[in-house]
Amino acid sequence: MLTGFVTPVVLAGVLLAFARLHDGAWEPGMQVAGICRELLAGTTQGRQALFGSCWSAPLPVLVYLPFAWLLPEPLAGWAAFFAAWLFAFWTVREAVKATGQSGWRIVLAQAAIAGMMIVARQPQALQLTTPLTVGLVLLAAASLADWAAFRRLRDVVATGAAGSFLVLCGFPFFAPAGLAVALVPVMACGDRESRRRVQAWLLLGCLPLLYTSGVWLLMNRLILGDALFFLRSLHVLVPNPVSFSLAVLLPGALLLPALLMTWLCDAQRSETGAGPHAASVILISFALMLVGTTEVLGRFGLAWDSATLHVCFLAVLMIALARLRQPIYRLAVTLALFVWLTTLWLGNAPAPAAALPREQICREVEEHVTARTAYGRVFVLGYAGLDLLRGYAGERLVANMDLHVGSARRAYKGQNLYVLVPRPEGPARAESVFWKHPDIYRHGGDRLLFAGAFGAWHLFEIISAPTQEQLDEWKKAGGQ
Amino acid sequence: MDTGDGQQRGESVKSVADVDPLELSRRHPEWSAAQPMTRLQKGVMIGLALGTIAAFALAPLRTAQTLIGLCTLFYVVSTLYKFAVIRASLSPSAILRFSPEEIAGAEPREWPVYSVLVPMYKEPETLTQMVAALTAMDYPADKKDVQILLEADDDLTLNAARALTLPPGFRVTEIPPSFPRTKPKACNIGLYLAQGDYLVIYDAEDLPEKDQLKKAVLAFEASPQNVVCVQSRLNYYNPRQNVLTRWFTAEYSAWFDLQLPGLAAMGAVIPLGGTSNHFKTNVLRDLMGWDAYNVTEDCDLGVRLGRAGFATRMLETTTWEEACSVVPFWIKQRTRWQKGYIQTWFVHMRQPWKLARELGVVNFLHYQLLVGGGPFSVLINPIFWAMALVWFVFRPEGVSHLFPGPVFAAGAACLFLGNFVFIYINLLGCCKRKNDDLMGWALLTPVYWLMMSYSGWRAFLQFFRDPFVWEKTQHGLVKGGSGKQ
Repeated sequence: MLTGFVTPVVLAGVLLAFARLHDGAWEPGMQVAGICRELLAGTTQGRQALFGSCWSAPLPVLVYLPFAWLLPEPLAGWAAFFAAWLFAFWTVREAVKATGQSGWRIVLAQAAIAGMMIVARQPQALQLTTPLTVGLVLLAAASLADWAAFRRLRDVVATGAAGSFLVLCGFPFFAPAGLAVALVPVMACGDRESRRRVQAWLLLGCLPLLYTSGVWLLMNRLILGDALFFLRSLHVLVPNPVSFSLAVLLPGALLLPALLMTWLCDAQRSETGAGPHAASVILISFALMLVGTTEVLGRFGLAWDSATLHVCFLAVLMIALARLRQPIYRLAVTLALFVWLTTLWLGNAPAPAAALPREQICREVEEHVTARTAYGRVFVLGYAGLDLLRGYAGERLVANMDLHVGSARRAYKGQNLYVLVPRPEGPARAESVFWKHPDIYRHGGDRLLFAGAFGAWHLFEIISAPTQEQLDEWKKAGGQ
Repeated sequence: MDTGDGQQRGESVKSVADVDPLELSRRHPEWSAAQPMTRLQKGVMIGLALGTIAAFALAPLRTAQTLIGLCTLFYVVSTLYKFAVIRASLSPSAILRFSPEEIAGAEPREWPVYSVLVPMYKEPETLTQMVAALTAMDYPADKKDVQILLEADDDLTLNAARALTLPPGFRVTEIPPSFPRTKPKACNIGLYLAQGDYLVIYDAEDLPEKDQLKKAVLAFEASPQNVVCVQSRLNYYNPRQNVLTRWFTAEYSAWFDLQLPGLAAMGAVIPLGGTSNHFKTNVLRDLMGWDAYNVTEDCDLGVRLGRAGFATRMLETTTWEEACSVVPFWIKQRTRWQKGYIQTWFVHMRQPWKLARELGVVNFLHYQLLVGGGPFSVLINPIFWAMALVWFVFRPEGVSHLFPGPVFAAGAACLFLGNFVFIYINLLGCCKRKNDDLMGWALLTPVYWLMMSYSGWRAFLQFFRDPFVWEKTQHGLVKGGSGKQ
């Protein structure tokens, strides 16, 4: 009751209150809310946004969706945030409880993670994605460790499930999730009995992740016409996608010593499994692998989620500590030290650049277009566009996830069309518009004429040849 | 639910002639499927059908959206429910376990008389195997009270039984021919002639683990007074005969090794399996035995136990059965099971408020999802699969209109996540049984679901046409003997 309900509810409430107090830096759900709005309206844009990018992952959207359906903004955001942290604290409980530790140790671990979030004051880490990824990373790491330690079927299932959901949290988690599930059958090879059943561990451990990935590919094929659409941005983000993919897997090497130790312990112990010491080594290695992944992404200039990855890293280390048998006061002191260390890791994050309020940008663009034509339509591009349009109630500005100038002209025949392009920096670099039209922001494109700048956004007009009806009309007007 | 106070309460009677196998349906027709649907239920069903047709005529799109929304909600709830049940099966209280050492530690002791009922019909080929299996059971011979229940006009099996020298404690009980000709009617006669404190039913082809009776006694003694039934796990001794037996084994492993233990851990009402359910005899008599008109009398009895305030627990012991290996026979067997679930749902939903009061709200919901939800899902599944297929292949706009925003998202989640979860549960069942080689076959379970849906629709139609027809399962189809592994 204490660790399963009271503490998670209290701590999730505290984090929600903290996030509310820092309202300027934190907005519940961010672009997730925009995607949900489109999904609830049943638009193609919503479906494309749900699956269309490995950098804007589907899981937070799917978690947010029922809240967005049932509750108005900002209540939906608060409720989703609260629920996600409840889940994260539940996984803390499961991860620590697995080693038979007492209730107060679990409470300490839960409180330490909440404390870390407050001390860090990272706006990015206070988004919905963070508690989801923290929970799933903890579940994957702890289950993998317990699988090595005790050889329980439930741990295979938990690792498989956590891995499959972690993949849906975005590209930075692809490698950790893949390595976690791949290690399930590999770790079983240290013990003769388990080795004979590798086929079973392979299916139970890896199948959920393969299935999830398959569904993601299928959805891209069905909704966006290209099974690899969600990965295409890698071509413009990194010089060589193949070497980048290998580099992302490289931190997995940090798990090798843990794997060897598991095999060794397995071979030496008379009981089933490699024992709790091997589990601790696996947890620490897993945490280091997360840091390694952050470093690799940073080297390639893709460390947008570094705060989330760092929070996951610290959370796994805290869990590894809480699982050790040691006096409770020592655990409390160590965890407090960790919370303080958080400031070193996360405390120096630059404040987000001041940006024009969303409403102001929408209003200015609308005024600009309306001044030129009564039949204007503005396509606001990408995930950034969905975020921009969150509070927008008009009809002039519409979201667009996959720009096709030709089909837009056919669909809105006779109207003056514009596109509003976000500045290609940070996560916006991964928008599909930039791998289709790399120079669009600076130079426009074929039939795209610069029409104005609004904050970080550039507006372009789509130039089209007049239709036969227009020509006839003009001729008539000229004749008169 | 109050139990009856008829002439045969609590104790056995002397002869078949003294027994009324239809006592339940005579004394409490409201608990029996003798009348498949009450007039009120028929009225409600007709009203719902007419209302739906009228709504389709007036607002076809809105009606279709509403129905699809409701079905999607059902799918979401069912999937989450499966999650919860499987998670609960991890609980230590999910199953009662007794090690050989614990059984040995209980000796020497006076074991109670244990009644074993074996209903048989036209299956002389399994008689020898059955007698051998029951004789081999590790239980004092003088404490076994085995009744082989044979229909009086089943000359084939009767002659085979007469030709056999039955061991001490075994006897043949002839069931006089009368309507309905069902297994529960025969079992009711056996129940009232039983002499044991405890009672179990085995099918003719069953091979129970040798220490099962002793484990059951220990389980009853270790459990609270209200535990009056323990269900053994069932599995098949011919899983590798063909692809059908592979799928069937995967399904059974998931049901008996994961889902039923999960339900037991949740304290839910348990739809009993067809055989190897052990009872306290006097309580079963108080409940007037099985409903002779119900073709899944076991499921119905499980619900009646729950309504009377009794509990069922799962026991860690296996009875090995023969998996039906021929598709037409499998269809018939599954049709009977589905029809029985429909019968049971209608019987207990005659007074829903009373049912909710007796079971409690949570158990009432368990009942709806287990007994009502099972047949309902196999009926609606093909419709949704067809819609998904049409959408994938032809991408018609019409199908998209049927799924407004949130319904589309929930439906897609159920299609991709829900179906996978159900397949994964079967994989898990195989793994738990150490049938690793069946796991690959379990991935093809969706084909098996198509067969289930076909049986479901057959059962639904049969429920209205021939509610009491008992399509008997053909046994003895295992190549090369019993094939026990």
